[in-house]
Amino acid sequence: MGYGRGEMMANKLFKKILIANRSEIAVRIINACRTLGIATVAVYSEADVNAKHRLVADESVLLGPPPPNESYLDVDKIIDAAKECGADAIHPGYGFLAENADFARRCKKEGIAFIGPSPEAIELMGNKVASRVKMVDVGVPLIPGMKTAETDINVFAKAAVEAGYPVLIKAAAGGGGKGMRVVHAPDELQTALEAAQREAKNAFGDDTVYLEKYITNPRHVEFQILADKHGNCVHLFERECSIQRRHQKIIEETPSVALDDDLRTCMGNAAVLVSKAADYDSAGTVEFLVDESGGFYFLEMNTRIQVEHPITEMVTGVDLVVEQIRVAAGFKLPDYMYNLTQRGHAIECRIYAEDGENNFMPSTGKILHYSEPVGPGVRVDSGVIAGSEVTIDYDPIMAKLIVHAPDRDSAIVKMIDALNNYKILGVKTSKRFMIECMLHAEFKAGRTYTNFIEQNMSDRNDLNDEVINIAAAVAAVADETSGSFTTGGKSVAKMPSVWEMIGRFEIGASINE
Amino acid sequence: MNKTEFYHDGELIEMSSEKNGDSYSVTVGDSTINVRPLGNNLFAIVDNGPQKIVAAVRSQGVWHIDVDSVQLELSEPDESGFGAGAGDHGEKDKVYAPMPGKIVKLLVEVGQEVDVKTPLVIVEAMKMENQVNSKAKGKVKAINFAAGDQVDTETPIIELELETKEE
Repeated sequence: MGYGRGEMMANKLFKKILIANRSEIAVRIINACRTLGIATVAVYSEADVNAKHRLVADESVLLGPPPPNESYLDVDKIIDAAKECGADAIHPGYGFLAENADFARRCKKEGIAFIGPSPEAIELMGNKVASRVKMVDVGVPLIPGMKTAETDINVFAKAAVEAGYPVLIKAAAGGGGKGMRVVHAPDELQTALEAAQREAKNAFGDDTVYLEKYITNPRHVEFQILADKHGNCVHLFERECSIQRRHQKIIEETPSVALDDDLRTCMGNAAVLVSKAADYDSAGTVEFLVDESGGFYFLEMNTRIQVEHPITEMVTGVDLVVEQIRVAAGFKLPDYMYNLTQRGHAIECRIYAEDGENNFMPSTGKILHYSEPVGPGVRVDSGVIAGSEVTIDYDPIMAKLIVHAPDRDSAIVKMIDALNNYKILGVKTSKRFMIECMLHAEFKAGRTYTNFIEQNMSDRNDLNDEVINIAAAVAAVADETSGSFTTGGKSVAKMPSVWEMIGRFEIGASINE
Repeated sequence: MNKTEFYHDGELIEMSSEKNGDSYSVTVGDSTINVRPLGNNLFAIVDNGPQKIVAAVRSQGVWHIDVDSVQLELSEPDESGFGAGAGDHGEKDKVYAPMPGKIVKLLVEVGQEVDVKTPLVIVEAMKMENQVNSKAKGKVKAINFAAGDQVDTETPIIELELETKEE
């Protein structure tokens, strides 16, 4: 284990990294920098003056007004901020400028290292149509569908018939479910096409969409890749991310129950092949669909650190962001990277500001209470604190809860307990929804297909009276003891310490006595 | 003995509580629930089966509560709110945006008959399109915005003339 000493001397790590992002991923990157002894610069918009990522960084620079175009997407302002602070590298996180080849090129031109792959690799993989053509060349299997992007509805109609309904319309510049629509029958095609084009235009500034066959009962299985600038590339096994709502992942796990050792090796090798075909030299993810018979199809390669990267870190013990920074500085992959194994089972639940009881409508507001679960194998990557404002300006992800346990069953139990002890009030979350997913017999049996939520979660139980009674009883007690420790409403009159409130107790004694 | 009232979804919940050492015994309907404040908005439910930690915080006359990851809102009786949140103003004849955003497309016209679940308007917020459906049967009386307009959650986008129920 460990890094070669000679190499440590030969290469120089960055001195100061500017993180061109916000929320939980910015905090995550700052933590990795701290591990490496690198100073950090946060950037923030006027909406994020009190945001956690700004508060935990060594330095911070105000970019401008809340709209992304005037803040987190404003290349000139970010480059200026980096120069002003003397940052020698920029980490883009995910979203925003992470997969913007022009930004990567601009960093290079300004003499600032971009912590990510080359602009050429971003460009190739960022264009879903071009990357498909490349994959055909290297022999990685693809889903049947359009080879080029089109705008004519008649071309789509013809392609849909050739591929066979149901079909999927996707944004060429896409990701994250935006600009994506499933079409079950010809009469739905026009509406779906228009909606996909509008969403694509709004989300990516490019309304190019294409069409492919929609695989029934697929699983979304992706492989984590790490590659250095010396031609070395390894995969760090899979993540299954089949549990999705609105085509956006909410629960991820590793290992996938759908993979045996042979299929894992085969897909892992394909993922490395994909990376090498793109001359990839950073952390990245190769996404596949796996069908019911174990066939797999290349979907796309994400040229960034991904939201769900922590579950890979839990089972492999690798700090992916640390390694991503090291390879960007020119270091070789460390020796231990060639002998990795998967240890235990990890699950991640994404904590979005959305109403899991009302079709996942985005929820905004001030976080009135915030407390995290703790314990062995419980990790929280969070971008919010009590008092944070969740606004409509940005992606609604607030945090990620990750657990690690010896096996899948115990990981599920641990996750449910951790979710119940993760308290966020003031905005809605999908905590309860995710618990019910994991309690479902189909989830426990590992039958996790990408249509899991539509198939299994449409018929949910109403709120039971016991829960309402408990809530009312707590509200009554809270009301009686209020003026003391509520942070909502008017004023925080007096905040007694936990020791005053808890009364007589004994260390080691049960709270039930 | 302390009597308290809250509304949940428009329904009145009455209870009485009594301090009992460090805990409180609260009687709600047929059940008695023992609650022990832990500080930092957290409360332990003790002697009621599996132990639970509940979080509760008040803001503007509404208690926000998390019980086993179920999020509830209870409003105090002196407030007019019946747990009404954004997009749910309790009026079926007025259609509001679920959150501030931009109108992408209006799916109905004035005079058009609509039924429960008829798609009315698509509002974009946080870069996602949200379809708002009718909650009632009736006829479109007025449309107050056009595609491209910014909307908040306070001004109705569409007003309906409800079909009068025969009692």
